[in-house]
Amino acid sequence: MFIFIVRRLVQMVPTFIGATMLAFLISQLVPGDFLNRKALEPNVRPETIERMRSQFGLDKPVHVQYVRWMTNLVKGNLGQSFVSNQPVMQRIGRPMRNSMYLAVVSLVLLYVVSIPMGIYSAVRQYSLGDQVVSVFAYFGLAIPNFFFAQVLILCLFLIRGFTRDTFGWNEMLFPVAGMTSSNFDRMNAWQQFKDIAWHLVLPAFVVATSGMAGFTRVLRAQMIEYLGSDFIRTARAKGVAQRGVTYKHALRPAIIPFVAGIGGLLPSLVGGAGLVEVVMSYPGITPAFLDALNSQDIYVVLGLLVITTLLLMIGNLISDLLLAAVDPRIRYG
Amino acid sequence: MTDAQDPRLDGSQALDQVGEHYAGEATQRVSKSQGRIVWEQFKKHKAAVVGGVVLIFMYLTAVFAGFLAPYGINEYRRAPVAAFRPPTQVHFIDPDTGRLTRPFVYDVREERDERTRQRIYVEDTSVKYPIKFFVRRPSQPYKILGIWQSDLRLFGVDEPARVFLWGTNNLGKDVFSRVLYGGQVSLTIGILAVWVALFLGLLMGGLAGFYGGFVDDLIMRLVEVIAAIPGLFLLIVLASLLRDPRNPIAEAIGLRMTSAETFLLTVIVLGFVGWGGLARIIRGLILSARELDYAAAAKALGASETRILWRHLIPSTASYVIVDLTLSIPGFILAETGLSFLGLGPSEVDTSSWGLLLRDATARGVSIQFVPWLLIPGIPIFLAVLCWNLVGDGLRDAFDPKKRR
Repeated sequence: MFIFIVRRLVQMVPTFIGATMLAFLISQLVPGDFLNRKALEPNVRPETIERMRSQFGLDKPVHVQYVRWMTNLVKGNLGQSFVSNQPVMQRIGRPMRNSMYLAVVSLVLLYVVSIPMGIYSAVRQYSLGDQVVSVFAYFGLAIPNFFFAQVLILCLFLIRGFTRDTFGWNEMLFPVAGMTSSNFDRMNAWQQFKDIAWHLVLPAFVVATSGMAGFTRVLRAQMIEYLGSDFIRTARAKGVAQRGVTYKHALRPAIIPFVAGIGGLLPSLVGGAGLVEVVMSYPGITPAFLDALNSQDIYVVLGLLVITTLLLMIGNLISDLLLAAVDPRIRYG
Repeated sequence: MTDAQDPRLDGSQALDQVGEHYAGEATQRVSKSQGRIVWEQFKKHKAAVVGGVVLIFMYLTAVFAGFLAPYGINEYRRAPVAAFRPPTQVHFIDPDTGRLTRPFVYDVREERDERTRQRIYVEDTSVKYPIKFFVRRPSQPYKILGIWQSDLRLFGVDEPARVFLWGTNNLGKDVFSRVLYGGQVSLTIGILAVWVALFLGLLMGGLAGFYGGFVDDLIMRLVEVIAAIPGLFLLIVLASLLRDPRNPIAEAIGLRMTSAETFLLTVIVLGFVGWGGLARIIRGLILSARELDYAAAAKALGASETRILWRHLIPSTASYVIVDLTLSIPGFILAETGLSFLGLGPSEVDTSSWGLLLRDATARGVSIQFVPWLLIPGIPIFLAVLCWNLVGDGLRDAFDPKKRR
């Protein structure tokens, strides 16, 4: 097991270095050099620009810049933001944390809803409920996240309009923008927690819906395949009750890819939440990334690319490990 | 299905003649071609057929967008702007007689709601403007498939009244027309991106498989590297940096990022991010050339590598590749609408795309509750993605011998 992990970690290194090289290469597409925009600001003196230029090594050739940046990266220093003069780590820490909240909540929602749905539609194949689930799955597959978010926001506004006119109740059912209320700073810890949770409901629901579609479909197909296999017939012949057949014999092997998927889903949810965060002005990674790109704050862009790449790779490693741990048929090769 | 059928049913003239030539002998057996079996299986998949029909309909509306749309792609009037006009009400009942009449609309004038300070439009019922069919509008010519120029529009009304079936956006452009034109971009980009991905996948996978060794390692590492960077961010960063006309590549080639160039750029970026999986398949396919029994048999019979590749290996995986490509089209469509939604797709000048139209709903100072019609462009995205998925699923089942019905 230990050797397996070590070997996988070693294999990750060249891929990671390749990814940083690609990211750095892409960053060279920024017209001029990174400080052009900074130089246009009226209150920045030319000397400051020159100092920053030599500080970041921008007067050196590309490969020297890359080596310098990479050396810093290994030391855990992602460079300095051009825009806010903060270290990049500090600048991207908060958006990453916010995105993580969203990812975890939607992940839990995803599993809690899609596993029972998948089991149900496999056991009651072709029933009305199964067909409803299928339609729902196609729906989640086909609707773009950001559009779904917009539609839900519109629905909430319509509901508010209705309740205002009939009951005089002029409140939104759920908050539709941001992560905190305006009076967040004056709340105590418990209220703050509740406030964030309340703001998470809608974006988490939207993000989870698209995942649910795929999940339910896969689980259903897996379950149906196992339910039709020989060992299930044997179990039935032995006299195992329907419950046991469903949950012990069929569900266990069918659920394996889902257990393994947890590792792969965390980073993909961080990326997948992307446009939903933009629509709902949720202060997560994607808006931060777009902001940084807009202001050509290239070290922040690179930092976010590198960190999310790292997350993705670690996530894949975790899913491989989980898969090996859960599935006895897989040996640590 | 049995394979003993009257060859006449297969409809081919040549087969008929062959059949007559051997007539009187044993019952003629003609086995069906792979394509025919797949087609028959596909037809049994109801949802897939419906999806296919809807897709054909959507692509037709995109081709004939200029004819179906009452207004030009960028047409708007400066005074009055007619921003955020709600969908124009089409009247069928004549208020004077109370009887059914030919459809007509009223002109509207802009007012302010006293209470909410929102802009509202009030119908001016003094003059009726009947909806006319097959009107010519020489001021707004269009081209079908970039070849046939025309100015004939399916319907329209006389100035100064205008008919906005799905309302207008912040600049007073007709959403209905722009959704039709937007289909031209959003529906084709997915298909074009698949071709780019297929080309890159064939090229890189082919190189890796044929040359092996260092080339193979290099290309496969590149595939891994691209897969390691989160797709959305890779797309965003590439699209956003490349579409700046001052970037080094654009300056070197002399691109000015016209709308056609940004369109192509989006296609290439999407294809570039999406070729990895295909390259892996192609490479595996070529490597397996030495492993498979029938390939070895063909080789023993003296077939060349190229013949083995084209006669045996490509047909054996073609079905897989076709299904894979079909199912990746909706992903590309979603990616394009996402990029356009962020303003990173085809440029807004002279182009419309469903993602760009949804972007209008997020413009500064727009509250979606007052302009719900701006969300209409999301429906065709949903439909197109859904139908491509249905068709892809249908094709997959049709190609799968285990799922034959």
